[in-house]
Amino acid sequence: MIELQEARETALDFAELVKEHQSMVFSVCWHFLHSRDQAEDVAQEVFLGLHRNLASIQSAAHAGHWLRKVAVQRAIDAGRRRFRRPQVALADVAEPVAPAVERDPMLGETLRRLIATLPEAPRMVMILRYQEDLDPAEIGQVMDMPVATVKSHLQRSLALLREKLARRGLREDKWTG
Amino acid sequence: MDWLEQELKAALAREDPPADFAGRVMRRAERPVVYQWPRWLAAAAAVVVLAGAGMGYRQYRGEMAKEQVMQAFKIASVKVNRIQTHVLEVAR
Repeated sequence: MIELQEARETALDFAELVKEHQSMVFSVCWHFLHSRDQAEDVAQEVFLGLHRNLASIQSAAHAGHWLRKVAVQRAIDAGRRRFRRPQVALADVAEPVAPAVERDPMLGETLRRLIATLPEAPRMVMILRYQEDLDPAEIGQVMDMPVATVKSHLQRSLALLREKLARRGLREDKWTG
Repeated sequence: MDWLEQELKAALAREDPPADFAGRVMRRAERPVVYQWPRWLAAAAAVVVLAGAGMGYRQYRGEMAKEQVMQAFKIASVKVNRIQTHVLEVAR
């Protein structure tokens, strides 16, 4: 009876964790893989892994860190298994959650496409920096990477994006007015 | 944070997963766990079985060859005996 009650409480806690972290886990996978179906599969596996390891999770914060780290690893593994450069289908580009104020809607799509062309490590670094708002030290912890390497990936990726945007004729003054 | 970083934050904003994602996760989590062998273990087992079968076949072929050689020796021996007997009869 006590076991049943504990199991129910665990199930409730797990459901809460899924609701709380689903957008983080899904978005890490989706921004990295650029396939909503594959991102959902990987995100489900991440949560099922959490369910199997729930006994070793000490707190909700621990669960959040665990989920982020495992989502990063699983997304990178899934990208390697796919064995090809990510292709971005127009239908796969999600609509913005809220209409962006004074933003070029094409720019967001262009940026996501350009990020999809980055190699896996800098791509994931960019996602953790701009989706999750992590600083380089936190990114280094999540990806088991020296902070200097994280900073290097960020600088190089930003420089590359600026260069590619300029080549496409997309410059700051075009949308900032 | 400059304009590009602001645009990156907007482009990479978190998004909600497809509808009923949490429900699908919960249903999968409630399923009884069926133990699946790791793929590498299945591949290793297949390699061991194939290697064992290969070695067994080689041994079988070796035994067959040995039997054939022994049979050939027996036949040759019988023929040599006959010839020897014939030569001895002629010599008398």
